[in-house]
Amino acid sequence: MGNCLKISRSDDISLLRGNDSINGQNSGTQPLYHQDEQYQPVFYPTTSASSNRTPSINRQLSDENQVKIAKRIGLMQHLPIGTYDGSSKKVRECVICMAEFCVDESVRYLPCMHIYHVKCIDDWLLRSLTCPSCLEPVDAALLTSYEST
Amino acid sequence: MANMAVSRIKREFKEVMRSEEIVQCSIKIELVNDSWTELRGEIAGPPDTPYEGGKFVLEIKVPETYPFNPPKVRFITRIWHPNISSVTGAICLDILKDNWAAAMTLRTVLLSLQALLAAAEPDDPQDAVVAYQFKDKYDLFLLTAKHWTNAYAGGPHTFPDCDSKIQRLKDMGIDEHEARAVLSKENWNLEKATEGLFS
Repeated sequence: MGNCLKISRSDDISLLRGNDSINGQNSGTQPLYHQDEQYQPVFYPTTSASSNRTPSINRQLSDENQVKIAKRIGLMQHLPIGTYDGSSKKVRECVICMAEFCVDESVRYLPCMHIYHVKCIDDWLLRSLTCPSCLEPVDAALLTSYEST
Repeated sequence: MANMAVSRIKREFKEVMRSEEIVQCSIKIELVNDSWTELRGEIAGPPDTPYEGGKFVLEIKVPETYPFNPPKVRFITRIWHPNISSVTGAICLDILKDNWAAAMTLRTVLLSLQALLAAAEPDDPQDAVVAYQFKDKYDLFLLTAKHWTNAYAGGPHTFPDCDSKIQRLKDMGIDEHEARAVLSKENWNLEKATEGLFS
């Protein structure tokens, strides 16, 4: 089962490079997997950061689930990350953690244009591919945008 | 408990305390312990429903994974409602299960529960007996729900006929809550209730 995950991982990386040049950093997405561990360790099959220390957890997951999660992480990484510039007067806090955004903090944009802290929204998207604010499905919008480009 | 869960609950607690509904006494929330993992909620029965005039207390347990998973909520106050178990207080409400979203808060949960009291969904029941009565004998459902609101939540409507039937069963050594539950289930038919209890 490691193999199929590697395939999907390398795929992600090739796509991610495009993202990197836009965002200038990818580091923002990495700590999320560590963060996530305290909530649900079973969500860890694909990341390079954890692949060498979670073999027992991997075994508990069905192949089907692993592929699903791998795909989901791949999808999530196509959602743009930006920095909060404080210009939006309406959006001042991340509705997931309810903390106010700080200027220059990394935020992820969903297709519906709602923004969240990267680690907050990534943790949520692993559970549900919808916007926590408007319940708009994230994957449908993403797939459409791929087809059109 | 995970940090985010605690800090969120603290912020939400403040939000509820500042809210309009607190001023109107329609919802209330208080801490049960210092760890912020368990809270006690209270909602007022909505007007123009059999629950009007009653105060319903809720047990709210905050999971470590909050707000990524919903709080666990159940009614402590006994209530006669198709989507709430008359025995355990367990609630059947989509937002407390699959339709939970991280942007929802304790306040919106309490308001949703209030809305549920005003708009039962008997086709998606938690308590099949109540749901059946709701669909089959709506007048009796209203009477029973008002009686329960009076007995457990401080509602204003008293039903001497119900009380005397419960007393008859109590005289036979039956516990008051059990007597009320059985009579409610048997549409207040004393004979059937007695039969059910002693056969």
